[in-house]
Amino acid sequence: MSAKSPAQGDSRWPKDRLVLRSRRVRDEHLAAVLRGEEFLLFDGAMGTQLQARGLAAGELPELLCLTNPAEIREVHASYVSAGAEVVTTNTFGANAAKLGDAASVEHVFSAAVACAREAGARYVAADLGPTGQLLEPMGPLPFDDAYDLFAEQVRAADAAGADLFVIETMTDLAEAKAALLAVRENSDLPAFVTMTFGEDGRTFLGTTPEAAAVTLSSLGADAVGINCGLGPAAVAPLVKRMLPWASCPVMAQANAGLPHVVDGVTTYDVGPEEYAAAVADMLDAGVTVFGGCCGTTPEHISRERELLTGRMPAARHVHDSFAVSSAQAICSLDYGQVGVIGERINPTGKRLMKEALRSGDHDYVMNMAIEQGRAGAQILDVNAGLPEIDERAVMCQLVSELQGVSTLPLQIDAADPAVIEAAVRSYPGKALVNSTNGKAQTMADVLPIVKHYGCAVVGLTLDEDGIPATAEGRLAVARKIVRECEQLGIPRHDVVIDCLTMAASTDQTQPKAILDAIRLVKQELPGVRTVLGVSNVSFGLPFRPLVNGTFLAAAFSAGLDLAIINPCLTRMMDVVDSWRVLSGEDESAQYFVANYAERSDRSPAQALPVEKAAASSAAASAVTPATPAEPADPAARARELVLAGRKGPMPEVVAQVIAEHDPMYAINEVLIPALDVVGERFEKGVFFLPQLMASAEAAKAGFETIKAAVDASGQGDNVPEKGSIVVCTVHGDIHDIGKNIVRMLLENYGYNVIDLGRDVPPQVVVDAVVKDHVLLCGLSALMTATVPAMAETIELLRKEAPWCKVVVGGAVLNPEYAEMVGADFYAKDATETARIASEVLG
Amino acid sequence: MVESYAIDSIDRSEVLRYMGYTGQSMSSELEGRINANMERCLSIGVPRGVWRIFDVDGRGAKEDGTPFVRLAGTSLELLGTSMQKHMDGAVAVGVMAVTVGMGVERELRRLSLTDRVAQVVFDAAATTLVERTADACEASIVAAGHERGLFANFRFSPGYGDMPMATQPVLLQALDAQRQLGITLTDTLLMVPTKSVTAVVGLFETIQPSTHASCAGCPCFDFCTIRPTGHTCRG
Repeated sequence: MSAKSPAQGDSRWPKDRLVLRSRRVRDEHLAAVLRGEEFLLFDGAMGTQLQARGLAAGELPELLCLTNPAEIREVHASYVSAGAEVVTTNTFGANAAKLGDAASVEHVFSAAVACAREAGARYVAADLGPTGQLLEPMGPLPFDDAYDLFAEQVRAADAAGADLFVIETMTDLAEAKAALLAVRENSDLPAFVTMTFGEDGRTFLGTTPEAAAVTLSSLGADAVGINCGLGPAAVAPLVKRMLPWASCPVMAQANAGLPHVVDGVTTYDVGPEEYAAAVADMLDAGVTVFGGCCGTTPEHISRERELLTGRMPAARHVHDSFAVSSAQAICSLDYGQVGVIGERINPTGKRLMKEALRSGDHDYVMNMAIEQGRAGAQILDVNAGLPEIDERAVMCQLVSELQGVSTLPLQIDAADPAVIEAAVRSYPGKALVNSTNGKAQTMADVLPIVKHYGCAVVGLTLDEDGIPATAEGRLAVARKIVRECEQLGIPRHDVVIDCLTMAASTDQTQPKAILDAIRLVKQELPGVRTVLGVSNVSFGLPFRPLVNGTFLAAAFSAGLDLAIINPCLTRMMDVVDSWRVLSGEDESAQYFVANYAERSDRSPAQALPVEKAAASSAAASAVTPATPAEPADPAARARELVLAGRKGPMPEVVAQVIAEHDPMYAINEVLIPALDVVGERFEKGVFFLPQLMASAEAAKAGFETIKAAVDASGQGDNVPEKGSIVVCTVHGDIHDIGKNIVRMLLENYGYNVIDLGRDVPPQVVVDAVVKDHVLLCGLSALMTATVPAMAETIELLRKEAPWCKVVVGGAVLNPEYAEMVGADFYAKDATETARIASEVLG
Repeated sequence: MVESYAIDSIDRSEVLRYMGYTGQSMSSELEGRINANMERCLSIGVPRGVWRIFDVDGRGAKEDGTPFVRLAGTSLELLGTSMQKHMDGAVAVGVMAVTVGMGVERELRRLSLTDRVAQVVFDAAATTLVERTADACEASIVAAGHERGLFANFRFSPGYGDMPMATQPVLLQALDAQRQLGITLTDTLLMVPTKSVTAVVGLFETIQPSTHASCAGCPCFDFCTIRPTGHTCRG
């Protein structure tokens, strides 16, 4: 389930000769195209032409390269005579996964390139379409497997004599990235990448044109653009949004409008003239590579040819803003704008975060991401640096899981270059790498990774001699870093210098030196951005937030671009928001007025951090008259809250229970008995599923309060461990609701639940069971098709972990099935699982 | 045909039914959470569908005895006794795929990591929404059949009866559903986005017993394009 990454030291690209390596470009015209100085015209639709010639729906059109090459040649030749310079091979779905046993990738590509060549193409573009499977984390296909499928195609196409690659109809930025890396690392031919957008201006997976342009052009695409999905008039505004963000030529291959079925034949509604009019519009805007997609014909291409003849590419303006991107959206800063990087996903000095990373319970981390986003973070720092965990694996897992809960771009924060590379390789976007510094070795380790994966990078102003005491010394290090970046081809707007905050209490000259350094870097190295983690400045002083806020304001004034802070601290965001008014970034103070009109210093409650404010409002709502009459005894109230499924007031009420009794009383006499009642009610049908779960959720809030109290009092040993249970949905199955319900209930009963997620291979289950000598394993399957995977998992468990009992459940299972797959227990629902757990583990 | 459907409500009682509701009394707090998740599902969901009609080209049995219905102009074959019965006498077959989109999938993923109560409710709402989307797509097929003077039965999906799941890849390919709707398949033939439906509808020269006797109870009622013309799909 977690993102796989290449094994340690197993880089797929030659770091030493990477940067100066040039593309193998067929001739001067193509070279001029890559520089954006000349136009290039691709061909039009292949599929539509084949259907018109009677290809049956559902057949693999790629096989025609082998079975009926004359037909394919004819279609190609018709586009060549229409004026197309590039012929796209008929290999859209020619990957090993789709071809299966029908043909080998090598054969198809070799036949397809030959067809294109024989048709008289000036350039042959090897076509790479999507794999057909969805990548992790939303789908089951690991990034590396997608990469391998593409790499096989790339090697075959290069060997067959293609002139360039066109990666097209991509809707998943991760998949586009896998394909582009596969080209970069297995060939030196140019690669053009186009993605497909819907009317809402996003791909099916939610990528915007800006995010595609920023990510793919940074990653070294030779052209980026849009194909398929929409007609030319709808593509035009989207491709124009790409133009300012692409540091390479931009291309457009629209459909001939929308398909209609007339007398059983699919036809498209945009004719050559109308198509050409929209192309003219894109041409004026600066698009330089054209062609057609579904429904276009040689006539469409011929009209485009006429349009291009005698024209020169229009002038383009490409932003030099700092920009990073997630799969969904970019975060960009123009000169004069300031940004916030959320610092909280970092275990350093944070007990709960440490615990969450150690135990692999990432709920805490995910909620931290959501909270920071709500509070105004624009980029999230992610650091998994704990000596006792596998930093590389945890980092990759966090990066993957964070994509599910946040659309903010990530700052990959690690000291080990191998960790950085593993994380940025499969990251579907343009990440900010934190960090390099001025040490020769560090730069040699980190900067090639930054360049190869098209990232932005933080450069710390320290080197072999430590942190310079003066502003000039820091500038000198910054200069060194920028020079090294530029030599590798990393542009200045991708370099962010951190002048390193030092404590004012140890050296009062430092704050000024830091501010001067920021000023100097911005002055002497125009284009470069600055970043600062501010909170160290107040180390050793009382009332630290005030000092931090003041220092942040001063740093903004000195020219700071990005602040690494805890955005959930109101005081810090107050400084950011008010600075944006003073700097003019918040135009007409619109945001400020909308959000601060009600604020004043008189009400201390409003100066509380977000979480506390939320807690106090929840506490307030607990006593509103709308709440039914509640018993005065806290223990009775806690029981009531569990039964009613209300988590809001729980922490406060449980705190009272603990104060009157003790933690064990709260667990054994209050929460567990209440949960037993809930379970009974569910059995009898008095409660239905969401009620069971809301009760479990309320109880969980209670358990968390108890745990925090016990931890704080140092009496952790008094709470007995109830044992661990591994749960997951079996390999091949992607439904996780049932498993999540079971997990919730088991956690409530005090078990340590090791949740491996969904689609989990048997060996991963066994490894987890063996690692902690776990006595009970719960497997869930929802589809008949995945029951064999369940049997396979159990068989492997019997062999390698014979001590472990297995309980199974899921929509398709029944007691007979459970016996058939070799399970020890069948559980029809979550409460049954909890009973079985108590039988096995006590 | 690729279509988008305007669906602005989902049936609350159906959402509750998916969660095992049998009339339990619930707190206003839980009611509020259910309503909020239904609304969120409607706002995130993008109900879209693609369908085509293929003429029946022949019937028979494979070497192993499995009955098949062959369709003209596609490599899609309908296998099994369920299909033999469902398409008995059909002259054409409507083939459809619908989805409510990757946004819903992403939200389910987010909730599975952050709020498992909401995940259960949102999942039930999304299931209701995709079934509603399938109703809309089916209505288009019924209407297209009506234009040709044909009568529809009702939609039937791979995985039910003995209609093999292995139908999925060819069916999706025949509709170009990955390109048109973004539907992908796992190795185990599950669709992603998971809130997607594929199905086939039989089209006949005679009215079918399964046809709704009146428009009132018809699942396609809200999406029907025949009624406004003064006709019904019954003739």
